[in-house]
Amino acid sequence: MEATNNLNFLATLLPFSIVIFIIAVGVVLLNQHFQKNLYLQKLTEKKLKIQHQNELLRSSINTQEEERKRIAQDLHDELGSVLSIMRMHLILLEEQSSQNSNNMPSVVQTVRKLSETAMTSVRSISHQLMPPQLENFGLVRTLEAVINQGHNIGSLDIRLSAPDNFPQLSWHTSLGLYRIVMELISNTIRHADASIVDIQFEYHNQLLICKYEDNGKGLIKLNTQQGLGLNNIEGRVSSLNGSIGLTGSREDAGFRALIQIPLLNSL
Amino acid sequence: MTVARLIIILSHIPILATAIYAAVCFKQLTRPLRIFAYFVFMSALVQFISLFLWFGKENNMPLLHLYVPLTVLFLAWFYATILQRFIEVKIIWWTALIFLLFSIINSIFFEPLLTFNSNALTIESILIIILTLFTFIALLNDIFRQSDPGNTTSLNWINSGFFIYHSCTLVLFFFGDKITTVLSTMFNMYTWMLHSFLSIIMYTCFFISLWKRPTT
Repeated sequence: MEATNNLNFLATLLPFSIVIFIIAVGVVLLNQHFQKNLYLQKLTEKKLKIQHQNELLRSSINTQEEERKRIAQDLHDELGSVLSIMRMHLILLEEQSSQNSNNMPSVVQTVRKLSETAMTSVRSISHQLMPPQLENFGLVRTLEAVINQGHNIGSLDIRLSAPDNFPQLSWHTSLGLYRIVMELISNTIRHADASIVDIQFEYHNQLLICKYEDNGKGLIKLNTQQGLGLNNIEGRVSSLNGSIGLTGSREDAGFRALIQIPLLNSL
Repeated sequence: MTVARLIIILSHIPILATAIYAAVCFKQLTRPLRIFAYFVFMSALVQFISLFLWFGKENNMPLLHLYVPLTVLFLAWFYATILQRFIEVKIIWWTALIFLLFSIINSIFFEPLLTFNSNALTIESILIIILTLFTFIALLNDIFRQSDPGNTTSLNWINSGFFIYHSCTLVLFFFGDKITTVLSTMFNMYTWMLHSFLSIIMYTCFFISLWKRPTT
């Protein structure tokens, strides 16, 4: 009788416990699954948000560059032409006044020289706004030209190297990389107190790599303005769907930047 | 030695392993995990004394009367720490104090020290199931994940261990006094074998939670 009671009791208790156990494990597993899915959903949301921000940034940079291009063209084509014609007339006036032998030539000569200075300035501003070689000769040739001209570089020794298989870049990518490299060079000149800059381009598996290195002070004494310069660089890299790594926290160990731009859709 | 007896003894290995591991990595633990480690130390101490009394064929029921309110107090401290942003901490502490009072009254008037304290254990399980379910909801919350991202995995394992153990043993505890008094020694042993199996699962979850502790 006791054995029957025992069996009846266990026959109820054991299956009931097993059922509750299965339910409890099920609740825990479903909760884990739900948490994992929620986490993945958040990651996707974040990714979409970053993508949207990058698109906004790219659109804003494109608009800015288009505007710069238009201003550069207007300056070069319209103001440059006007100044050119003005200079031509001034040369004629200079010749005529020298024949009449009055005091006019020196005044005309001064005005002519001023117009030539204005023409040089217009050309320089126009080229700074939008380098004319970039569209026709590409990024590497444009950077080479800038380095060879030596404007605003001073005693800095800039070494540039690019592989033979350097790809044909879109205008958007070329311009973006050009601005990034120029900003880095500008930072080195202004803050690093460096004597050598080494710029290396590499291209592997549709990934364009730019290694920038100087032998200056590194990143230690960065102030807000310099930080903004780096923010601009990071913004431009993001707009090209790329990544940037900066090193140089050790004093006098130089500054290094590694920029990687995927070229899958940008070519 | 019977298989059932062996399983009951072996079920103490995860408890010992968890307690040793908690002691080894105690300094690296975050505040909620340290509070949890105190609970593990207390639990291991009581359960091993209980095991030795069982070996010596002594009645270990008085220890259970001590273990149940202590567990509730430690878990109230633990859950009050992790749920402080979501629930008024006073509610948890008042519930724990009321339970403590109930447990004392129950041990004096209804289920004496030498008998199985089924009432206290059942209510303890119900309270812990409520807290674990609430914690599962809290762990899904963004505020919790963002403010305490490292602890989430560990707390999830601890919570899962408590939830599985207490929801399954609720029935055993509810019928606990009948199991110990009505059933024969053999069937009694089988029932506690089931309890040992659930205890192994719970302490394995605890061990994993400490293993997956946030590292700085």
